[in-house]
Amino acid sequence: MRVKIFLFAILSEYVGAKTVELDVPAETTVAILKELLVKKYPKMASAQKSIMTAVNREYADDEQILPLNAEIAFFPPVSGG
Amino acid sequence: MNYPTITYVTEVELDLDALMARVTLPSTGAAVMFSGIVRGSTERGNAHETRFLEYEAYQPMAEAKMRQVAEEIRSRWSSVEGIAIVQRIGRLYPQTPTVLIVCTAAHRDTGVFDAARYGIDRLKEIVPVWKKEVSPNGEFWVEGEYIPKPGE
Repeated sequence: MRVKIFLFAILSEYVGAKTVELDVPAETTVAILKELLVKKYPKMASAQKSIMTAVNREYADDEQILPLNAEIAFFPPVSGG
Repeated sequence: MNYPTITYVTEVELDLDALMARVTLPSTGAAVMFSGIVRGSTERGNAHETRFLEYEAYQPMAEAKMRQVAEEIRSRWSSVEGIAIVQRIGRLYPQTPTVLIVCTAAHRDTGVFDAARYGIDRLKEIVPVWKKEVSPNGEFWVEGEYIPKPGE
């Protein structure tokens, strides 16, 4: 399936885009998606450990399986205020 | 009673008086407002100067999480009447308000100070907003320390 990923802050600078699309197998987990992304954009490797994930606008862990047509976002720990 | 809850992300200048008025009810006798400000000169820790901050948000999730923070406040302090949680984004210069938290209540001894404090602390934990610090010596993205649990 094709997934669209929103990127924020330093991660979007590493990739040079605010969104990326990837083809992934069904039942892909967040962890596998991160690995695929880092493989495609090696600059992200330095941040890989601290990447936070949101699936359908809720925080998700690495084990979560991506639902169909999910809205996925990767970003660093938040620093608003 | 349906109390006002105002939560949003904006690029527009924060109007503190107007926001305060929107959460002030006939029954309100106390309002606690916290506003974060761009600090141009930092002395604590790594002393440095700041030219400006560049804020970015994952807006739909940020606004959903701000509503969640407001619900958490209400579940902890039933005395709280109005709540405003507003984050400004974009390029913000020193001495500019960046974020606003207001909690109102009938009286000051009802936990309303703690409620506003909780609002800003919680915003900094779970609301997806980031800031890039631009100083005379370079720029870097500020990263928080809190790691939210799944579904938090």
